[in-house]
Amino acid sequence: MGTSPQAAIEITAVHKSFGVTKALDGLDLTVAEGEVHGFLGPNGSGKTTAIRVLLGLLRPDAGQVRLLGGDPWRDADTLHRRLAYVPGDVTLWPGITGGEVIDLLGRLRGGADRRRRDDLLERFDLDPRKKARTYSKGNRQKVALIAALASDAELLLLDEPTSGLDPLMEAVFQQCVHEIKDQGRTVLLSSHILAEVEALCDRVSIIRLGRTVETGTLGELRHLTRTSIAVETSRPVTGLTGMAGVHDVVIADHHARFDVDTARLDTVIRELAPLGVRSLTSSPPTLEELFLRHYGEDGAAS
Amino acid sequence: MTGTARLLGFLLRRERLSLPWWLAGVTLLLFVQSTQSQELYGTAAELETLRQTIGANTAVIAMSGPPELLRSIGGEIVFEIFGFLAIVVALMNMFLVGRHTRADEESGRAELIRSARVGRRAPLAAALLLAGLADVAAGLLVFAVAVGTGLPIAGSALFGAAVTGVGLFFGAATAAAAQVFESTRAVYGTVAALLGAAFALRAAGDVGDGTLSWASPIGWGQRAYPFAGDRWWALLLPVAAAVLLGAVAVALLARRDLGAGLVATRLGRAQASAVLRGPYALAWRLQRGSLAGWAAGLFLAGVAYGSIAESIQDYVRDNPEIAQFLTGGADDIINAYLAVTAGMAALLAAAYGVSSVLRARTEETSGRAEVVLATATSRWTWLAGQLSVAVLGTVLTLVAFGIGEGFAYGMSVSDPGQVPRLVGVALAYVPAVWLVVGVTVLAFGWLPRPATIVAWAVIAYCAVITLFADSFGLPGWSRQASPFVHTPQVPLDAATAPPFALLTLIAAALVAAGYAGLRRRDVGY
Ligand SMILES: Nc1ncnc2c1ncn2[C@@H]1O[C@H](COP(=O)(O)OP(=O)(O)O)[C@@H](O)[C@H]1O
Ligand SMILES: [Mg+2]
Repeated sequence: MGTSPQAAIEITAVHKSFGVTKALDGLDLTVAEGEVHGFLGPNGSGKTTAIRVLLGLLRPDAGQVRLLGGDPWRDADTLHRRLAYVPGDVTLWPGITGGEVIDLLGRLRGGADRRRRDDLLERFDLDPRKKARTYSKGNRQKVALIAALASDAELLLLDEPTSGLDPLMEAVFQQCVHEIKDQGRTVLLSSHILAEVEALCDRVSIIRLGRTVETGTLGELRHLTRTSIAVETSRPVTGLTGMAGVHDVVIADHHARFDVDTARLDTVIRELAPLGVRSLTSSPPTLEELFLRHYGEDGAAS
Repeated sequence: MTGTARLLGFLLRRERLSLPWWLAGVTLLLFVQSTQSQELYGTAAELETLRQTIGANTAVIAMSGPPELLRSIGGEIVFEIFGFLAIVVALMNMFLVGRHTRADEESGRAELIRSARVGRRAPLAAALLLAGLADVAAGLLVFAVAVGTGLPIAGSALFGAAVTGVGLFFGAATAAAAQVFESTRAVYGTVAALLGAAFALRAAGDVGDGTLSWASPIGWGQRAYPFAGDRWWALLLPVAAAVLLGAVAVALLARRDLGAGLVATRLGRAQASAVLRGPYALAWRLQRGSLAGWAAGLFLAGVAYGSIAESIQDYVRDNPEIAQFLTGGADDIINAYLAVTAGMAALLAAAYGVSSVLRARTEETSGRAEVVLATATSRWTWLAGQLSVAVLGTVLTLVAFGIGEGFAYGMSVSDPGQVPRLVGVALAYVPAVWLVVGVTVLAFGWLPRPATIVAWAVIAYCAVITLFADSFGLPGWSRQASPFVHTPQVPLDAATAPPFALLTLIAAALVAAGYAGLRRRDVGY
């Protein structure tokens, strides 16, 4: 621990059950000040529960939670002045317009920057005059995002904030997070999309069944990832099978399909290049695949 | 139209839980009215007395129907209950058709249905068929209850058909409105306004020379004069209007895209006004519509009760058996009547209070409370915002009732002083109402999941005690838990401070205890 003098978030061995469901089962999470921290896990792994604990909405059954130097359960209202939150499933008041919601949330938090708000409305291409009941899921998400991004909170808690956004808006979002990072603010970004986390985060914690299974920088976690490659070459593909770091090879004449440890990608591409690459697509593995591969049946079964 | 039959089966299944309640409501309303009326005005002499007192009372006519109906006991029943049956059946049709047309389009469900080899018109056709079936069922039930309680067969058949006719009209009207407006709320708002207009037009017509009643779908049914002339031809009007509106709906459907309306939804403010800045403002903004609705409802109830207050005296003189329902006996009839009606209003205000407190629960389960509580808003401030509406709203609804009753009663006895007097009477019930609000807060704080059921059970209990404790002969102890038993029955009893202070104190303690629960528990579930 102690990557920075003070941690913005420090969760130690937190347990939280809902009846028989163990949503958090000894979760550890440390987010240093000023970092963008990816909080990765498949659906149902406890990300939302952890964020609700951080917000003081849920009281943990056991374990320690520190947020911005305070106790989120006891000091909720004072701590909340310093953070902004975007829920995973945004529901808004149907009869109130998006613009009104953004302003209201800003005021409830203690003020927001009017210029930044208008700028964000433009960048996210949101019509603030529409009643919330007419917004699609993506647009509701934009409302909550703009409200959070327009604040000058030290800490942003974002729970799968891009799940309803199209790729264009996803890019705008990533740009916004970069700006926030440049301002030295802290972000906890929960997600189940590895690519998004890779694009944004300094450090990542991976959670499964309510427990942290990996934590570290992306480089440190690189050994976990494999890239799927489909390639078409002008000469028949040879020599792939048996190469270190290459898995699940399927070769059909000029076509080949395989997975490669991301750390070995460079070597493999060099091997392919002399064969005359006509087309190549690579796709990063989904998080679910990653878990299935690393945790085997017991990951799949639960 | 492909798939209409299959879709209809699907809709019937979706409605299997709510539709029976509407039909049960129709059955019960008529059953109670029919047995009660026949008991009170069973003889020709009693009916004659009623004709004379009511025939001259414009307020009663405005609330009920054309006095021509009072020619027979069956007609008297239609006179009293048809307006209510019409409202129930109209609302049933509004929801049946609205839910399966515009609401489905708005939620995106229609897209799913349309993608499954279902014709363009099938959802509309299925919804209209569903409503038609429900209307026929309602008509048959009316017929069965009327005949079952001893009314003539021919009149009963016409009565049932008239109810069906009102339903068909509003079902088709909803279908047409659903093509025009993009939001379900606008559709419901339009149909509700239409229903209000229908009621107002027939009220004006029945009080006047009857012409305006012919512009009202409710008037058409009443002016078929079931049991009082049996004019079947009058029902051609609702049937023709329903066919016309249905055809308009189909024609409009062909002219629009799925999900779109002919009238686009109005845009709102791009920025929040300076007022919308805290949890209190938010709570009032969210609840102002329903508060206005309840206040208007209680005002109208006050007008209705107040308008017959004076004739109550005559009634009781002619029908001494009614006196047993009034606590003060025949001596202090008016005050006893005012106390009973204020007690009813208190029940309604308590129901409003419960619904208002439970909005906090809705905010919580929908996830909207979470967004607010993640800001600098404390749990107490958030709850206080919601409660401020319940606490002041119950007062406002009672004041509205007092104004309505005082206004109508004051008119009939030419005494404007009745307005402030009856407002004061209504306010005497505020502490008891607050106590029910407090119980709801307690349930919300400690038992969030069953809170809704618990709170409505409390209302149901209080209602049973208030309305039936005497007539059912319930034992004394069983009523002690109702706060309405412990509040002075003003104006029959004198208003003294101690019970009010005690009730208010208990209410405050309940709120505090409820908050203590909310502070300790998880939010969101
Ligand atoms: N209020 C609740 N009641 C019961 N179970 C819950 C509740 N909230 C979450 N859970 C369960 O806890 C687990 C973790 O859920 P969640 O934190 O929402 O996961 P994630 O956000 O990673 O998808 C899931 O199994 C979920 O079903
Ligand atoms: Mg989640």
